[in-house]
Amino acid sequence: MAETVKLFVNGQEVEVESGKNLIDALKVVGIEIPHFCYHPALGADGNCRMCLVGIEDGRPPLVPACKTPVSEGLKVQLDAEKIRKIQHDVMELELINHPIDCPVCDQAGECALQDYYMTYDHQASRMRVPQVVKEKKLDFGCGVVHDQERCVLCARCVRFTRLITKTGELGIVNRSDEARVTVFPGRQLDNRYALNVVDLCPVGAMTSRDFRFKQRAWFLKRSPSICHGCSMGCNIFIDHNREKGGDDLIYRFRPRHNALVNGYFICDEGRLTYHQENEGRLATAMVDGKDSPLDQAIEMARRKLENARKPVFLLSPNCSLEQMLAIRALAESRKARLSGFSDAYIKNGDGDGWLIQDDKSANRAGLELLGIDTAREGFAQALEDADLLVNFNSMRIVPAAAELAGKIAGLTTIAISSHNGPLTRQAAVALPVSSYSEYGGMVINTNHILQRFAPAVIKNQPAPDMLDLLRQLGCTLTERTDLGKAMQQAIPALAGTDMSAFPAEGLNLKEKETDHVTA
Amino acid sequence: MMSAKIKTIERQGVSYDQRLFLIEVFKGMRVTFGHFFRNLLDNSKLYVRHYPEVKPEITPRWRGRHRLTTHEDGTVKCVACFMCQTNCPSHCISITAGERNDGRSEKLPVRFDIDLLECIYCGYCVEACPMDAIRMDTGIFSVVTADRQSVVMGLDKLLATPGAFTEEDYKKRGL
Amino acid sequence: MSPLDYLLVALRVAFGAFVPLCFVAVLVWMERRGAAFFQDRAGPNRCNIFGFRAAGLIQNLSDAVKLVFKEDIVPGHIPHKFYFILAPVLVFVTALISFSVIPFADTLVLGENSYVMQAIPLDIGILWFLACAGFSVYGIILAGWSSHNKYGILGGLRAAAQVISYEIPMGLALVSLLVVYGTVNLNEIARFQGQLLFGMIPAWGVILQPLGVILFIVAAFAETNRTPFDLAEGESEIVAGYHVEYSSMKFALFFMGEYVAMFVSSAIIITLFFGGYQIPWLATETLVAYAKPVALVLLVLLPVANYFFTGWIRRNNTSHYYRPNDPRVREANIYIRCFWILTGIVEIILLGLLLADTAPETIRIFVALLQMATFLLKTVAMCFVYVWVRWTLPRFRYDQLQKLGWQTMLPLSLVNIFVTSAVVVALS
Repeated sequence: MAETVKLFVNGQEVEVESGKNLIDALKVVGIEIPHFCYHPALGADGNCRMCLVGIEDGRPPLVPACKTPVSEGLKVQLDAEKIRKIQHDVMELELINHPIDCPVCDQAGECALQDYYMTYDHQASRMRVPQVVKEKKLDFGCGVVHDQERCVLCARCVRFTRLITKTGELGIVNRSDEARVTVFPGRQLDNRYALNVVDLCPVGAMTSRDFRFKQRAWFLKRSPSICHGCSMGCNIFIDHNREKGGDDLIYRFRPRHNALVNGYFICDEGRLTYHQENEGRLATAMVDGKDSPLDQAIEMARRKLENARKPVFLLSPNCSLEQMLAIRALAESRKARLSGFSDAYIKNGDGDGWLIQDDKSANRAGLELLGIDTAREGFAQALEDADLLVNFNSMRIVPAAAELAGKIAGLTTIAISSHNGPLTRQAAVALPVSSYSEYGGMVINTNHILQRFAPAVIKNQPAPDMLDLLRQLGCTLTERTDLGKAMQQAIPALAGTDMSAFPAEGLNLKEKETDHVTA
Repeated sequence: MMSAKIKTIERQGVSYDQRLFLIEVFKGMRVTFGHFFRNLLDNSKLYVRHYPEVKPEITPRWRGRHRLTTHEDGTVKCVACFMCQTNCPSHCISITAGERNDGRSEKLPVRFDIDLLECIYCGYCVEACPMDAIRMDTGIFSVVTADRQSVVMGLDKLLATPGAFTEEDYKKRGL
Repeated sequence: MSPLDYLLVALRVAFGAFVPLCFVAVLVWMERRGAAFFQDRAGPNRCNIFGFRAAGLIQNLSDAVKLVFKEDIVPGHIPHKFYFILAPVLVFVTALISFSVIPFADTLVLGENSYVMQAIPLDIGILWFLACAGFSVYGIILAGWSSHNKYGILGGLRAAAQVISYEIPMGLALVSLLVVYGTVNLNEIARFQGQLLFGMIPAWGVILQPLGVILFIVAAFAETNRTPFDLAEGESEIVAGYHVEYSSMKFALFFMGEYVAMFVSSAIIITLFFGGYQIPWLATETLVAYAKPVALVLLVLLPVANYFFTGWIRRNNTSHYYRPNDPRVREANIYIRCFWILTGIVEIILLGLLLADTAPETIRIFVALLQMATFLLKTVAMCFVYVWVRWTLPRFRYDQLQKLGWQTMLPLSLVNIFVTSAVVVALS
């Protein structure tokens, strides 16, 4: 922890990090100050007045906690009668025109207004005048649906478009109880991070058209994971649920804070990649295009691999480091040529320099680190006299190498694949394998940050893990402990570190290397 | 606080004639024979409802088969808030929500299934409902079918079943 | 052997074999309707053939049809399939053959010949019964063991332990009884009870052995696995005990075996303690001497009894709810007509007996028939006591059962032997 200061909350001394405001600093030590408008990424606005706290000695009687930095010896009052009354009254004001349509509101269950009502208000409305009627179900574009009646006018969404995306599509128009968030006429939300306003909105005013009415928030299980949509490796929560009689399905991705990688946000494109985890999956093993029992298909693949004189392994840049190590080991034992050719994963000019990257694969840095050749020439050369191609979950060849695709079509192929695609369909043997929401592993992002993620989803009929498949195909390096050792050899920064104490926010390999150099 | 009522129950089976057992057995047999003989002489005195012909009277408090209520214009009251599904201890309710465009609200159930084989008729769904959309006032207490599928009550069946009581009687049931 | 000999052998064996079987249906019916009336319910009263419900007897028929047509399952996990199938047969057959030594009428004297009215004319009588009753529990133990099921084995173990505890007081109660009667032949025992004590009280076992009768009846209840001693079944704790794995006719054999055993032990109880086939104060020879006055009394009493009986039918065989053109009333009318016809036939026979100049053989047969009727009446009354006890008393806890057997009944039966022997020795 950086420099600390000591202050008093309700007469009790607490030690917190200096340089933060009261809300953030006290949150770390487990003291919640209610707030609507403040968000660490958007700064203090001070418009909601929910975070008003009392400061003893001298100062004005009430100050907003979001705008008050911690300082040594500060005496903060949180449970004084006047503070409770302020919180109570602010809540009552917020709820004057709130439609209380929690039954139909997607935010119910994760709504600040609901939580604060139960904690600070808990009384029936005293209003006898009709509520102000505003627009509902407004389509803001980019899959954002806005309900003006539910809005508490915290302006988080407005500030997000102004401060973060710098597009400024949203604004608050009118005054007092007619005030409302809206888009400019004819100019809808138009940026690649727009769905973040749904997460930012403390109430149910902003909802996602994609997630709308799909599930209630309290049914969802939140599992931390890493987005595999591009090489940024944004940290996410996978919100999934197994409905009665159904499979464990993912219903949404939400950003997970990681200061090293993505901060508080993720891009819309990555957010919606969860669909690919639910749909288009390779469900059963196939031999020559026909469904086949898995063990028979594995046996067939193993035999083909043993009989091959010159096998070529094609490796997906989405594989975890463990999988890459194991595949490399198998390639060495089978005298196979290994290629990580994956130009098709790169979408030139798509990146924006913030979160969205050109490279739409999660672990290309891992390929490079393990010294696996990704060049087109190497792959093309290897294919020349090959008699077997084993494709480890690489889904994309076209459009980057259309002429190679023809060459591949002529080859006997074993496709070990999580999804159904053209390469899977033309394969002699296709084996299903779990996808990243179902396995755990390590990936390195484009900024050389090594991150670890755990399995989130457990399907009713789980596809086999890549490492299990590799072991059945004859790979000897599939045990977790062996892989850990191999990893520590491959990555000098990991040498000697305890893998169980791996930092949750990831490890910056670049910095670590320079550390080594200076040391 | 209410003072607890203490009732001292005399301990049975301690006196000699009670421990002799046989006398008590004969006493018990006298009681049962009294019932037998009375019923044998006149079987109209049996404490029996002749069920399929004589139906029991169902009160509004009785929790029978479920139904979904509608507004006056026939639109479904349910807004698919999932409160009943969340509260259901036997997980017999499964709902799929959808967009609503009839001006009532934003959300409505496109699928609302109650599996009566799983239902335990506890009435928590009725208590949980914020819209008074689900009720168990149909007065139907006997659900018999030959297969498992037809006891899964869909939206159509739930909406088609009328209540057995007037609105006033239902309100008076007091819960 | 003359044709008459053959006929009588066939008749006696038929009586010994079919009467217990027929009475299974009657007893099941009695159990069900009795249970219902004890509990203020109606019992089975819906099953009918063309609207004839026969007071619920048709229910037995439908149950029998059901049991016959149910799938006969021999569970796959059972290693000893032969014993599994043998067990219900054992239970049923032992129960049935133990009836064969019970006399249902006094020795029939037709001219020169006399016929012992038992299915098997054995002198060892009571010992045969004890042997068979003791053997029937092997069926239960075998069923429990061969079911290869924890409930089954628990039921079998309970039955085994119970039978050990209760065979002893039963045998000892019999010992004191045999001291009194001085014979093991059941026909002689029954004949002994035709005597009168002090010229006025029938010399029944129940008078001579008041303690013995209680001990024997309690032990007989335990032997037949009837409540309150049905721990081997114990639905509430070991689901159905020894017959949990049985279905269809194999279950039906257990079921029928239980009721046959109940009928047989009722028969043995009345033979030992309630005068057997004897009509009180009318021993066989007295009855032969006064056959015509007895027939006259019957002639008069029968229509009177039938009048009240048909009145009872008319009152009770109605629907107790509004039903236009009540079919049950029509049903009752037919029953009443049938009973009057039956009464008429018996009346004509009795009248013939009174008016005609009758041979001594006819009188003998008439007396034998009267004694058979008496025997069946008494047995059914005893079966009713079985039903009555079942629906009055709850099941014993296992320790209570053992405590009663060893700590109460065993000492009491020993005391009974000493006292009885002393009295018998003193009197002789």
